[in-house]
Amino acid sequence: MEAEKAACTVNDRQVSVEQAELDQTLVERAQQGDTEAFGELIEQHRSKARGWAERMTGDPHMADDIVQDALIRAFLHLGSLADTSRFLPWFHRIVRNQANMRLRRGGPHRKERPFASMGAAVNDGSEVDWENLDSILYHLASTAAADAAVRDHDPAESLLRKEMYETIHALLHCLAPKESAIFKAYFFSQLQPEEIATMYRMTTGSIYTYLHRSRQKLRKEHIRVSLGLIPEKGGSGMTRSKVLKLPEWPVQSSVKTTFMDSIGRMLAFLDDRHGTAELMGHSSFAFRMKISNQTTFADGIYMFDWRRTLLSFMEELGYKITILCGQLADSPIPLLGAVERFPIVLPIEEAVLPFIRKYIDLGKPVLYFDTLAVKPFVHEWSVIYGYDDEQRIVYLTDQMLPDGKTLSYDDVTDNPVRFAAGIDEFLAKGIDVLAQRGSKLRKQAERTVRFAVDYARQGCDYRPMTSYLQYTSGLAAYDRWIGHLSNTYTVPNRYGMGQLCMVYAEAKRYASLYLRRVPFEGEAMRMVLLASEAYEQTAEALEMLSSTVPFIRSSEMFSPQLLETCITYLNRAKEFETAAIGYLEKALAFNMEEKGRK
Amino acid sequence: MTEIRFLTQIAYNMRQVMAAKESFEKINPDVRIIVEQSKDYFEMMQSFKSDEAPDIIETGGFQVSNSDGIFIDLNPYIAEIEGLEEDLYPGLLRVARNSGILPGLPIEVSPPLIIYNKEMFDQAGLAYPTEAWTWDDMVELARKLTIRDEQGIASQFGFGLGVDIEWFEPFVMRNGGSYVAPDGSTSRGYVDSPATIEAFRKIIDAFRVHNIIRKPGEQSSATDENDESAMTFCFIWNTHHHKLHDRYQVVGLPVMPGGKEANMIYMGGAGITTKSSNPRLAWEFLRHYMLECHSWMPPISKSQAEERGLTEHRIWSRYLKELDHVQLSGYYLSKKWNASRQLINDEIHKMILEGADVAQTLRSWTRFT
Repeated sequence: MEAEKAACTVNDRQVSVEQAELDQTLVERAQQGDTEAFGELIEQHRSKARGWAERMTGDPHMADDIVQDALIRAFLHLGSLADTSRFLPWFHRIVRNQANMRLRRGGPHRKERPFASMGAAVNDGSEVDWENLDSILYHLASTAAADAAVRDHDPAESLLRKEMYETIHALLHCLAPKESAIFKAYFFSQLQPEEIATMYRMTTGSIYTYLHRSRQKLRKEHIRVSLGLIPEKGGSGMTRSKVLKLPEWPVQSSVKTTFMDSIGRMLAFLDDRHGTAELMGHSSFAFRMKISNQTTFADGIYMFDWRRTLLSFMEELGYKITILCGQLADSPIPLLGAVERFPIVLPIEEAVLPFIRKYIDLGKPVLYFDTLAVKPFVHEWSVIYGYDDEQRIVYLTDQMLPDGKTLSYDDVTDNPVRFAAGIDEFLAKGIDVLAQRGSKLRKQAERTVRFAVDYARQGCDYRPMTSYLQYTSGLAAYDRWIGHLSNTYTVPNRYGMGQLCMVYAEAKRYASLYLRRVPFEGEAMRMVLLASEAYEQTAEALEMLSSTVPFIRSSEMFSPQLLETCITYLNRAKEFETAAIGYLEKALAFNMEEKGRK
Repeated sequence: MTEIRFLTQIAYNMRQVMAAKESFEKINPDVRIIVEQSKDYFEMMQSFKSDEAPDIIETGGFQVSNSDGIFIDLNPYIAEIEGLEEDLYPGLLRVARNSGILPGLPIEVSPPLIIYNKEMFDQAGLAYPTEAWTWDDMVELARKLTIRDEQGIASQFGFGLGVDIEWFEPFVMRNGGSYVAPDGSTSRGYVDSPATIEAFRKIIDAFRVHNIIRKPGEQSSATDENDESAMTFCFIWNTHHHKLHDRYQVVGLPVMPGGKEANMIYMGGAGITTKSSNPRLAWEFLRHYMLECHSWMPPISKSQAEERGLTEHRIWSRYLKELDHVQLSGYYLSKKWNASRQLINDEIHKMILEGADVAQTLRSWTRFT
């Protein structure tokens, strides 16, 4: 019996050690931004956490809320856990703190009581103050609790009601007076939007807009309240600001492939200047072209693996970076094909502003995907170079505004695509890259030329999983593009086409410039120079197309004559780029031959 | 001259939109319809928020329950026209009216059905499936219809089904399961329910144990990828483009152990925005485009389906019949669930290719919603 017991204990210990090891691996992965790993951690410990919380509160509903809050807190602060083998005690402490916070009725939960005890409160004879909303809400919540005690078979409903009151309570503190009045008229007085519109002499559409905005604020505030965060305005925290000096960025350095434009600017901040042709070539963006299979929408420009591309290119330049990445669940998402596998993140500023502050405070700018780009752009990469806590704004670049612009903290928080990156350090490997620059340049160039050929012939290896989003890339993209202009089912999108022409004409121009400086020798170099010339011709054809279809907001349709002209330019560009790729293939073959001889 | 701005996300039927514009302008010479395209719902929302909001927005995904509050309710407009309510397919209206409001008219509607190649059945000497067939019947047929060479490379698969959480959902529904709660608030108790797990296990087994469906990345020696399976899970557009030849026939999805008559539906929608200053006129155009013109396949009204001979068509009549049984899928009910779709698909790949445990994986998905 004793032996059995001892064996059990040994077994338990073994299981516990294995669990701790698994936890440690998951924590380390989660700390590097792997939300899947965090999800697994949750699965491992959710029921245990619920048990702790329920023992402390004696209230199963509140325990659920506590665990939910604790998980969000743990997710936000996992980076601060230095000893990754101590996840469970650390998490236990968070659960305990969350439970204590609710039980002592301090902080944002001060009005909340354990749900199970609310029924008793109703019977204590205290009167409801119908002028005081808090009192009404408390009364309603109490009634719900009393109902729940009677109708114990439907705890889900009572939980829902409680959550609704809790949410309303939080919301009313954060709405502007007019928003609050309209919200109350709709939700409490049950007035129709048309009636409210008459009351306020507004259009029904504006009432809907107000209600929609209020609901969004509600969601955000609800998360803030459940996290126990300091109220957005009037908080007692120290406010700071810092704006980095924008380095000079002459027009000739600027490029319409804003991913590369912004990386170039980031490097310029660090005084690590690269020629635009070099950046466009080495990153291979000079050789990419992707067209949507739907019509001439411009989204193909953005369809690549953002994380992998940025990480590997920055590493090649010698930099270690950290990426903040996600999507908001309740907002329309642009560029689904690129964003589809980003994890869901919270629409709260604590999940993004500290990241920005951290880098700016270190004197480093932050790469940022801006979904409020100035027209005619919709969304572009930019560089955040400052913040101001008092004004609650960040400073960032914009393609259309040479002096930059500002966005509010709310704009940044509500950006449905969260993609920001900061440079952590210059790697030793990177220094080596510089030191051996000469010897490595040729290999790098060979890689780029190989990429250009493979991409042109076989297309891009990044394909969205979302089945209705399909793209054609490489030389085949010309056929797709021409197909959109000539088929009878679709109507080409003029606005999108304007951007495609502008971006790809410029990219081909940089392909030509880049190839001129490739350090190949002999016949291989001669072929590369021929390719460069062919790319110049490609660029010219696309520039003609671009001047015919400029990048402007327009709902104008193409005339048949204009379509014919466009098709002519595209055929010409295709012909020249096909020739360029042929020359590059020959250049690679000559290089191979030369290697064989050596 | 009054202008009605029509903003659409759907690219491939623009000729029909333009035709509807032309005929409407002819009848209403003092009205001009301005047609604009937008590449996604994000851009549409930006346009809606701008000073030049469109009167009509047409989206690729139906905005169930009007969750963003951008559309007016079309119920009163439908009620005004005698007989219109009865003329629209009731199953469609049922799902489009989730939570009461009708934010738009459904467009490009499609439930999936099974299209089978009769010649492949004849060659194997097998009887064609009937509407009473069960999942196990399907597996048995598909095993006999899968042809592999000595190396195990298939020239023909018994069953064709893409790997997507959405395409597995009809089988889950038919087994009495679901991914999320009816109000979309949680997946706990739904995606991890016994009925959902059972249906999922059957699908994964079809890939992994019975080897009757092409796995992700699996080689095939079939010459025509649109004809590599004897039975194929097909939406209307697949059928329209690839499966209308006489050698194809249609049958409903197999009966699952749960025995529920249910199916998913893909649908877009076109509705009038709350910012429209001419909602009445916008409705007139919407009605003209969606109900009077023959623009979409299948139409959403019975009278047009009859007029076009679709109710008698050997394949389209079956698709139209299926509209009675459609339900709202998880992606309509929960944006959070929808946004996690590709992360979920990654895990389906792991179940099929690496044998990850089905029940455990489904339980872990409760973290998504």
